[in-house]
Amino acid sequence: MIATLPAVSTDAVVETSHLTKRYGDVTAVNDVSITIEPGRIHGLLGRNGAGKTTLMQLLTGQDFGSAGSVSVFGHSPVENARVLQQLCFIKESQKYPEDFRPKHVFRNAPLFFDNWDQAFADRLIADFRLPVNRRIKKLSRGQLSSLGVIVGLASRAPLTFFDEPYLGLDAVARQLFYDRLLEDFAEHPRTVILSTHLIDEVQNMLEHVIVIDEGRILLDADAEELRGSATTLAGTASAVDAFTAGRDILHRQSLGSLAQVTIGRLSSAERREALEAGLDVTPVSLQQLVVALSGEGAKTNRQEEER
Amino acid sequence: MIEDGRPIFVQIAEQIENDIIDGVLPEEGQVPSTNEFAAFHRINPATAGKGVNLLVENGVLYKRRGIGMFVASGAREQLLARRRAEFSADYLRPLIAEAAKLGISTHHLAELIRKEEAGS
Amino acid sequence: MTTTVDTPSGTRPSRVVPVLRLHLTNRWTTIGTPLVVLALIWAANWIVWLLIVRSVGADDRADAMEGTQFSGAIFYIFVYMMVVAVQAITRTFPFALGFSVTRRDFFLGTALLFAVLSAFYAVVITALSLIEEATGGWGLGGHLFTAVWYGTGSPIERFVQILLLFLFFFFVGAAVAIVYLRWRANGMIVFWVAVGVLGLGLAALATFTNSWPAVYEWFIATGAFGVTAWSLVVTALAALVGYVVLRRATPTA
Repeated sequence: MIATLPAVSTDAVVETSHLTKRYGDVTAVNDVSITIEPGRIHGLLGRNGAGKTTLMQLLTGQDFGSAGSVSVFGHSPVENARVLQQLCFIKESQKYPEDFRPKHVFRNAPLFFDNWDQAFADRLIADFRLPVNRRIKKLSRGQLSSLGVIVGLASRAPLTFFDEPYLGLDAVARQLFYDRLLEDFAEHPRTVILSTHLIDEVQNMLEHVIVIDEGRILLDADAEELRGSATTLAGTASAVDAFTAGRDILHRQSLGSLAQVTIGRLSSAERREALEAGLDVTPVSLQQLVVALSGEGAKTNRQEEER
Repeated sequence: MIEDGRPIFVQIAEQIENDIIDGVLPEEGQVPSTNEFAAFHRINPATAGKGVNLLVENGVLYKRRGIGMFVASGAREQLLARRRAEFSADYLRPLIAEAAKLGISTHHLAELIRKEEAGS
Repeated sequence: MTTTVDTPSGTRPSRVVPVLRLHLTNRWTTIGTPLVVLALIWAANWIVWLLIVRSVGADDRADAMEGTQFSGAIFYIFVYMMVVAVQAITRTFPFALGFSVTRRDFFLGTALLFAVLSAFYAVVITALSLIEEATGGWGLGGHLFTAVWYGTGSPIERFVQILLLFLFFFFVGAAVAIVYLRWRANGMIVFWVAVGVLGLGLAALATFTNSWPAVYEWFIATGAFGVTAWSLVVTALAALVGYVVLRRATPTA
């Protein structure tokens, strides 16, 4: 089998410029300019309805942009067989032919995915206990998700999209998915884009994080950079205010004489200083950061900026 | 376990350091591969690789082409020296600060430490 | 952007044949069920003929059986294939897009399916019509596969006629489904209103210009075979419209 994507390539796999998608009055994707580097696992994070699926549909040529441009492997993905044959898009709402059973999906997959690994697929089917002879219409939500996950992993497409791949999967099956993804990714590096709102579960697997809300990109950064990029300090209002004086405050909450403030990154010396000042120092998790960025408060701020 | 707030690769490097200090990973012994670290900690292989590379840069680990990563000779002593240097800032100062907050004098604190040591 | 990640053209085989195989995954749906139903229709008809033959006097028997040549019993199979065409668009199209197929390859593979199935069923029905003749209407003088609408000409004519009928139902069914896929309920309303207006308009035109007799004569003169041949114009138009509309269709509502 000829490797379709050299993993060593440093060219961007995906590049969008001012990409916008409008449905009537609704702007589902709004002025998105992002770059996806090859050979990484990317997280596309955001609330339900934030525009994750629409963005992925634009990147896979399943939908057409209203403005801006998309380039995948250097070309527009729309009706481009050369580009599309390197993609696999596992969608939460994927439709299947009326009379299909999982075995039919697996029988056809090798015809469409050049890197399909049947042995790997068989192992995953056993791992996830997927009933391959049951009508797809009769599968539970979790089994339907397993089917998608198995196709996405075994296809080994150079660019694989998983859109909320775990709906209905229990904790064990989700962990299985994460483990198999990491194992196979280590042996067969490729570019993965994982859209999810279960951020706590996946954050350690991600190398790059893109946060989208109301169609706009709120954050586009390396996951390691984000770790510890915000800290919450709690203590008496006077101690907190003394320590945070002159710093950018992301969020402040107070209760009587107590205060809780979220600020940016602290050096280890500053952290020590804060502890010595009697403050509680807690790092802000990626999940909390996303909530803070895309929460109601953040939304109001943005709208005010726009005015 | 991986904790929030600090880069994962730093935590991976620290865990390998701890294993070297504890003697779990002996000098000139082979360390697990990047992919094994990634699978074990359920982290991105690139991140695990970054942690290992940090130790290579510091001379704690070295690479044997085609075979893998090994603990350098003298790595344990090097790590112990660094940890000792950081001990005061990492452990003593917070201890003294907390003691002061509770009204425990330095003298009393020293006594508590001795008692604790004798008791255990 | 450079294009160094381009794959050599040799690794870019067309997905037209895989799409055909995708459609034919479940042979029972496209071949098994229709043939079984065809057999049941045949059996039911044969029993009815037997009842007719038994109950009608010998004098009227020939007349009675002559009536069966206006049979529309196997019309069912054309409707069934229209449903196959509709499902190919509404269900298999979103699935194929998920398997990274271009709309172009999907359409061509689907058109190939229609051609293959039309040819297959044309052979089957032509063969049955010949058997029907050779056995004197299955021993009872009945007509099922030699109805006047098709199956009265030479074997080649029968084959071509049935082939064209199948193609017509496949492509028209697919075109309607594609319009639905792209514009949903609104598309359907506009489409059917347009068809209605066009039909009424033509009827009104014929009425006001007193050309109904001419229309009638044209049908008689053109004959069943000729009329079927003209259906190819509608079929080709449906294919063209289907292709153009599908190229901008999306798999989601």
